Amino acid sequence: MTAEFVFATAQYDSGDWDSAPLLPANIIDTIARYTEINVAPTGVVAPLSGARMLRYPFLYLTGHLPVRFSDAERRNVRQFVDRGGLLFVDDHNHDIDGVFHKTATEEIARAVGPLVELPNDHPLYSSFFKFDGPPTTSHELNGWGDNLVHKHLLAVQRSGRIAVLFSNKDYSSEWNYHPDSKRFLSVDNTRFAVNLVVYALTA
Amino acid sequence: MNPFARLRLVRALLAAGATFRAFGWGALAGLTVMLAAAAIDSYEALALSTRSELRFLALAAAVAVFVALLWRDRQVWTLRRVALWLEERDPTIAYALVTAVEVGDAGLLRATRPESWTKRARLRALRAPLAPIAATAITLVVLLLLPSGAVARIRAPRPGDSIRGVASRDPSRSRLSPLAARIEPPPYLHAAPSVVDNPMELRPVAGSVVVFSGQGSAQGILAHLNAESFAASARDDGWSIRLVAGGRPAVARFTDRSFERLVVINSQADAAPTVTLRSPAKDSVLRAPTGRVTLTADATDDFGIAGASFEYIISSGEGETFKFRSGVLGLTQPNATLASLSATLSLDSLKLVPGDIVHVRAVARDANNVTGPGIGTSETRALRIARSGEYDSLAVEAAAPTEEAKNVVSQRMLIMLAEALERRRPRLARDSLVGESRSIAADQKRLRRSVGDVVFMRLGGTQSAEEHSDEDAPARAKTMQELLARADSATNKTIDPIDFQGGESPVVAVNKPLLEAYNAMWDASTQLEIGEPAAALPHMRRALVAIEKARQAERLYLRGRAPQVVIDIDKARLKGKDKGSSATRAPIPAADSTTRSLESRLVHAIELSARSASAAVDSLTILRIDALADNATFAAALGSAIDAMRRGRGVDATAALAHARRLLAGPSIVRDSIGRWSGVP
Repeated sequence: MTAEFVFATAQYDSGDWDSAPLLPANIIDTIARYTEINVAPTGVVAPLSGARMLRYPFLYLTGHLPVRFSDAERRNVRQFVDRGGLLFVDDHNHDIDGVFHKTATEEIARAVGPLVELPNDHPLYSSFFKFDGPPTTSHELNGWGDNLVHKHLLAVQRSGRIAVLFSNKDYSSEWNYHPDSKRFLSVDNTRFAVNLVVYALTA
Repeated sequence: MNPFARLRLVRALLAAGATFRAFGWGALAGLTVMLAAAAIDSYEALALSTRSELRFLALAAAVAVFVALLWRDRQVWTLRRVALWLEERDPTIAYALVTAVEVGDAGLLRATRPESWTKRARLRALRAPLAPIAATAITLVVLLLLPSGAVARIRAPRPGDSIRGVASRDPSRSRLSPLAARIEPPPYLHAAPSVVDNPMELRPVAGSVVVFSGQGSAQGILAHLNAESFAASARDDGWSIRLVAGGRPAVARFTDRSFERLVVINSQADAAPTVTLRSPAKDSVLRAPTGRVTLTADATDDFGIAGASFEYIISSGEGETFKFRSGVLGLTQPNATLASLSATLSLDSLKLVPGDIVHVRAVARDANNVTGPGIGTSETRALRIARSGEYDSLAVEAAAPTEEAKNVVSQRMLIMLAEALERRRPRLARDSLVGESRSIAADQKRLRRSVGDVVFMRLGGTQSAEEHSDEDAPARAKTMQELLARADSATNKTIDPIDFQGGESPVVAVNKPLLEAYNAMWDASTQLEIGEPAAALPHMRRALVAIEKARQAERLYLRGRAPQVVIDIDKARLKGKDKGSSATRAPIPAADSTTRSLESRLVHAIELSARSASAAVDSLTILRIDALADNATFAAALGSAIDAMRRGRGVDATAALAHARRLLAGPSIVRDSIGRWSGVP
């Protein structure tokens, strides 16, 4: 594990793993703004098929297309979780039964275990900023998307800590903008990412 | 009569005399003040407020003198002092009376003659008020000698009576002072006229008639208003000029030889009524044109609402053909500043048909016949009668499935048919088996044609012509290679479609799953044609997987590489060291021409105040009128400065003038620190 926190984006063979290219920089900027965490100025891409992905405590995985892990990817994900890592999977489609949701949840169930609803009073929501549950995204509320508000995140927990966190909220769209554009927001919508990282590093 | 009773009678007589005397002197004091005030007012007209104050001063003087004298003579109420007063005037009593009063024994007064006490006391009581009554009478006579109306202006001052006094006999004096203005509101307001003495600013309703009156001859007196001049006309004992208040503030300038006087006529516009439609609260769509709609509205006006009602317009028709009907409901004439309207709109009586729209609004009019009438309307509500067949529904028509989705279903169905046929195979005769198998093969061929169409459409071509011709025609693509070659020819490639240099082309990559499905279907249909469903099933399943794969890979994301963003962590944490660079100091933007003009005139007026305060006030007054339209805040500040300057001594107008000038200059720019341009390290 490296001395500084490095934001790692999971790369997998199937699907479009790099569908939110600006998100890592934006989250790194958020981490730097609000915390004293020693954070690397750029993110890295960590192929799930390689052992290098085990060096990072937090992995971000997203996409629109079907997710089919290879045997090596599945094995590494299982090992990553066993070693205490937090895999954050976000459905870039923000739909409830799309191909990403269906295939990614199947793969996670196969590799790690079944996903269950994470209660909205889970310590994740108070690890840094206080939230009453997963923050909503504009895609859920403005009618542009599926007009569904997902009340819970899904998670696989190991020994009381979150091993895999699965989101249908489409944070990948919500946070995928250049950090310089953050000044146009009255309320920074990436604050929940701080909770994710702090939880991954402390829980 | 008992001596003590006689003594009490004497006391009463003396007390009455003292009281009358005190009253007389008090009345004299009050009348003297009135006389002095009337005399001064006859020479130099006093302000209305001053005359009102002098009236109370006269009353206060009278009461004060009366009370003071009563207090001075308070011993008259004491029997012992009354006894001493009698002892002084009749030494023969030899202190018997005082002693008797002190000990309370009337027997000591056997040798006295009480009858003479009453006589002395009566004379004294009659003599005491004589002097003040005489003085009061003289004062009254003098008051009566004063010019008519002089006393009345002090006794009962009222607006406008300052010009009722005697005009100055000094011909060199200005006839513009005193000045009275009578404001006659427009007749539609039914308001009583009002009079203002020595006006500086009037606030009449637009359209009011303002009659200015003064003393002396009307010869040579002019009023200038809005570039027009009006000559004064003679009236009973002075002059008058009749002006009409326009719609905008203006300054009336009066001239008499070299004398000049300004009066601001700050006309107040009669605002249009404000109408709020309370019910119906929002637009609506009615399923049937029946029922009654309750209409309620509130209307307010500054002077009074002459009439209010609901208006409705019914629009019928569609396209470019529309007809309109209109009507009025609930007409009222409240003649009040606040009115509530209510009416009921019967939809049945309007004979509405589906598609009609009823527009409803409330309208109120004031009685302004000078600049109006002011008409206020509420927002309009629309009630639409729904057309048949347009009822709202949350049901959403399902979209047609994509070609790939259709093929998935169809291929799965064919697999199920083939599996069922294979299960029944032991029980079927060969002919029946081959017949049913060829039937499935025909469907499989149809499905293959459909997949081929999808591939060709994606390649930008038309539907595969070969699939619609005879299946056994030699031009038909029978293998995946042939189909790929055709696909490639549609994109003008000339190389071997399978042997791409540098990997698969996008054309092949996108269509490969469907081409695989196409090929598998070909093999499946071949097996089905010869009555071998078991041999056909693996190909059919392979085709299903390929179609599924194509369906899921439908979304294409073609984009360039995202820019690499490197976060400056120190900057994000506001820990960076900004070296800074000197910025060019931008000059303060020049004021616009209007503001520049106002500023110049303000400076000029302030400079003028050092030489002539009244001229400066006049300049500022005109400046204020000109600024009212463009800069109301500045005009208000200027009004405060003018008031301060008019109050004169003891009131410093500097702060008010400075405030007005700051308002013209705009808000100050405040910085927490000295900029680098200052040269301070």
